[in-house]
Amino acid sequence: MPVFRLCMKIIRKNLSSMMIYIAVFLILATLLSLNGTKTQETGFSQVKTNIAFFSEENSPLIDGFRSELSKTANFVEVPDETEKLQDALYFRSVTYIIRIPKGFTQSFMSGKNVQIEKTVVPNSTSNAYVDLTVNQYFNTAALYVKTVPGITQENLVQHLKTDLENSTSVAMAADTKANANQDFSVYYFNYLSYALSSVLVLGISAIMLVFNDKNLSRRNFCSPLSAGKINAQFILANLVFTFVCWAVMVGFCFLFDYRNMMIGNTAYLILNSFVFTLSMSSISFLIGNLMKERSAISAVCNVVTLGPCFISGVFVPQELLSPTVLKIASFTPTYWYVKTNNQIASLSSFSLSALSPIYCNMIIEAGFAVAFFAVSMVVGKKKRMSN
Amino acid sequence: MFLHIFKARLKCLIRDRQMMFWTLLFPLILATFFNMALGNLNNTEAFHPIDIAVADNAQYRENQQFRSVLKEVSEGDDRIFNLTETDPQNAEKLLADGKIKAYVTVNSKVGMTVRESGLSQNIVRAFLNSYSQTSSAVTSIVRENPASLRNGLIKEVSDRKEYTKEVSGSSAEPNNVLNYFYSLIAMSCLYGGFWGLKEVADVQADLSTRAARVNVAPVHKLKVFLYNMCAAILLHFSEMLVLLAYLYFGLKIDFGLKTALVLLTTFAGSILGVSLGAFVSALVKKGEGVKVAVLLAVTMTGSFLAGMMVQEIKYAVAQNAPILSYLNPVNLLTDAFYSLYYYDVMTRYGWNMAMIGAYALLFCTGTYFIIRRQKYASL
Repeated sequence: MPVFRLCMKIIRKNLSSMMIYIAVFLILATLLSLNGTKTQETGFSQVKTNIAFFSEENSPLIDGFRSELSKTANFVEVPDETEKLQDALYFRSVTYIIRIPKGFTQSFMSGKNVQIEKTVVPNSTSNAYVDLTVNQYFNTAALYVKTVPGITQENLVQHLKTDLENSTSVAMAADTKANANQDFSVYYFNYLSYALSSVLVLGISAIMLVFNDKNLSRRNFCSPLSAGKINAQFILANLVFTFVCWAVMVGFCFLFDYRNMMIGNTAYLILNSFVFTLSMSSISFLIGNLMKERSAISAVCNVVTLGPCFISGVFVPQELLSPTVLKIASFTPTYWYVKTNNQIASLSSFSLSALSPIYCNMIIEAGFAVAFFAVSMVVGKKKRMSN
Repeated sequence: MFLHIFKARLKCLIRDRQMMFWTLLFPLILATFFNMALGNLNNTEAFHPIDIAVADNAQYRENQQFRSVLKEVSEGDDRIFNLTETDPQNAEKLLADGKIKAYVTVNSKVGMTVRESGLSQNIVRAFLNSYSQTSSAVTSIVRENPASLRNGLIKEVSDRKEYTKEVSGSSAEPNNVLNYFYSLIAMSCLYGGFWGLKEVADVQADLSTRAARVNVAPVHKLKVFLYNMCAAILLHFSEMLVLLAYLYFGLKIDFGLKTALVLLTTFAGSILGVSLGAFVSALVKKGEGVKVAVLLAVTMTGSFLAGMMVQEIKYAVAQNAPILSYLNPVNLLTDAFYSLYYYDVMTRYGWNMAMIGAYALLFCTGTYFIIRRQKYASL
């Protein structure tokens, strides 16, 4: 199979540039897996926001406030310097900085109108959350101060402690079930789309460039091998390359996340990634057909792979993207691939009704594969005719 | 003479389509992608009224007090909730369909039902808590001081005050999307290294045929190199200006008020990038592929550590290995833009610029000492 062998030779020559993508991908996957998997809680859990707390005075009232606040917030140690605090706020290491001014307790206990200073990420949700806690504490305290004359701080704090222990019971709706933690697998498979498409575009277009060279293709047609055989070997080589890339990438997942490999969700993730691989390889086929210069490969590869990954939720999760961007993204198979991965991760039963949207998305991905393949056939034919 | 070489070189550079792509188009494309991917990030962080429902039953209707409190926080522009009053079955359905985050039930006690725990659900809970906590406080006050009921306790309950006062940390908002764009500019500055790479390759006679021809010409080699570098820096700075204009006018990226200094930083970045490329090209005595790989490795590692892919990395590096953040040229540039935007004092900006200057000087003198006085016995 001389044609097949030639294709493999071309792949080997271009292996180094492809290995970069695989290596970066593996490094990131390792970092992700080191990050550890969080155990998912089944019940309602209290969310805590990170805050920095500075007090210019000490009093039982402030101590009580601090311990009350610790129910809704984690205190993060930040040095009390303007730049350090600004940095912490900018990078969301804390989202709320509280500063209690000197003389606050005394003024408060004598019923004066006082305020504590906060520096926040403006209009943020976590800001609203901490505000509720702060205001609740001091409003309740003010109630005592105004209506129980001569109440001591210690007494007040004691009362507040009992009052603020009252909490609302939260029920979880019946149909929510805890499912196995899929965070790592979803990250892995989502990010896989970037590495895999880069490798496929680089590899397949490298092969196509050689075969589409005018002189080379003319020479090939003179050979005693029939055109059908040449094409068959050529297609076989591309398919083998595609399959090997996919198998290697998915194979690493077994290494990183062997514990989760045996559950049904992972099987569907793998199936989904295979369908996606097919669509990416047919896109690569089209790109290879359109490409004229070798020097353009890495440019085209970067734009074609980075673009969909940015707008389809590979680098930034889909729920953080704006609806308009997602609309645009839905014209790429990457969008459907990522969407399906996210859906698969939240599957808790494998009934037909739960699976049907997933199969639907996979059919869309396969549709992309067929469409791009058809277009590249037309383009290829046109090119040959004009030769 | 200068003008002649300079002009010819400029033309030669502009005609290099591949380089023009990487140094001009690629940053523009990447900026567009960044904008699409990150445009909504601040919006998701912002507080929006939370959609909740309340199961409308007899007990809820009887509890006038709770009802009015709930209604009060669901009205006006600064409302916390978008409230729907509906029958229990419908509330359940709304929750299942994801139309609301939680629904409130009033039986002997006030309770709530959710599907998942999150910040919004916790806010609903904190609000409901405050209701029961205040009731508890009222009960214990009445127990302690029954006279208070006559002395306006109920009035005091409804008189809730705001106990926090916002103090701005700086003149600029902590809009944390910006760092991605600043690091993108920094990366593009270092992509100027491709031009620097080309300049050395085109003047070292053992690296290209063009350089061999230039070496034969009766012009001092260093002069040619200097003029060529001027052309490269001018071209790259113009490309960066296009990028800045696109970011500022097209994508509405905020750079703060110190426009002149932003331009100066970009110019320094161009010089840093081009000289880095020249230095790498002179230092690495291997083929072009290796040189490009070294340059890309430096730029990409630098960009990663400066937070271009995940911005928290920049903060983590500054926290845990501050020296690294002062040695990383991409971070220096990113941080210079960041300081200009965010800080009111200029100390950190000054340090960044000093380091950038030092790097540029190091690269320039390094290149000079490597390529000077090289003669070739045969080519």
